[in-house]
Amino acid sequence: MFNRIKLRFCDMKTISTLISGADEQARISGEDEPGAEHYLLSALNLSDGSARKVFERAGADPDKFRVAIGKQYNDALNSVGINDDPIKADPELIASTKIFHNSKPSGQAVMKALYALKQEDKDKPLVGAHVVGVVAGMDHGVAARALRAMGLDQKCIANLVKEELKSHH
Amino acid sequence: MADINSLPSPNEPEEALAAVVALRVMAERLEKKAVKKAIEQGWSWSQVAEALGVTKQAAHKRHAASIPKKEVTKNGDR
Repeated sequence: MFNRIKLRFCDMKTISTLISGADEQARISGEDEPGAEHYLLSALNLSDGSARKVFERAGADPDKFRVAIGKQYNDALNSVGINDDPIKADPELIASTKIFHNSKPSGQAVMKALYALKQEDKDKPLVGAHVVGVVAGMDHGVAARALRAMGLDQKCIANLVKEELKSHH
Repeated sequence: MADINSLPSPNEPEEALAAVVALRVMAERLEKKAVKKAIEQGWSWSQVAEALGVTKQAAHKRHAASIPKKEVTKNGDR
């Protein structure tokens, strides 16, 4: 009983860090609300380190995920004949200190999936690898395209997440 | 403006929708930068709203957070 309460407290702390981290990543990208890609960036910064380990197990550098997000935007712009970002690649950092309370639909989908995961497994703590698993399970969108731009395969990531979760607990 | 026929085919939705998202992000960045410059140059929120084709309230709500507070207050009542 006490362990359950302790675990729940830990998960609440992780979720809070994950959300505030995703907000921060959205702000850095000059976007008003975090999407799935910002939740993944935030998960890569979680102190449990499991999200980074999944990338490393796949032979990918977790620090390159942000670059991959930019690459998938550039590739998409190239497909419409825009080869050089006319407004410079650097986004405008949002200066506000306001905490965002909303996420883009893809960000909301990440949180819903994490909640469902926790309902299924109440005995294990929520860690960054769970977020990687949820985001990698998305077929479309910015995060999915960025993972593909890194050469990361959905099924491969799903297996590596399972391995990481086994070794983590 | 690019010829519509040179754009990704809607028959390839993955590529076409990726382009739509990227264009939207690029447009949002351009809008943020341009509004910030306009306010710095002394435009009122009414003028910004008129140029964007939205209400003054919508323009302010959307962009005030990205603009230094002194500029927001200075131009807010114009």
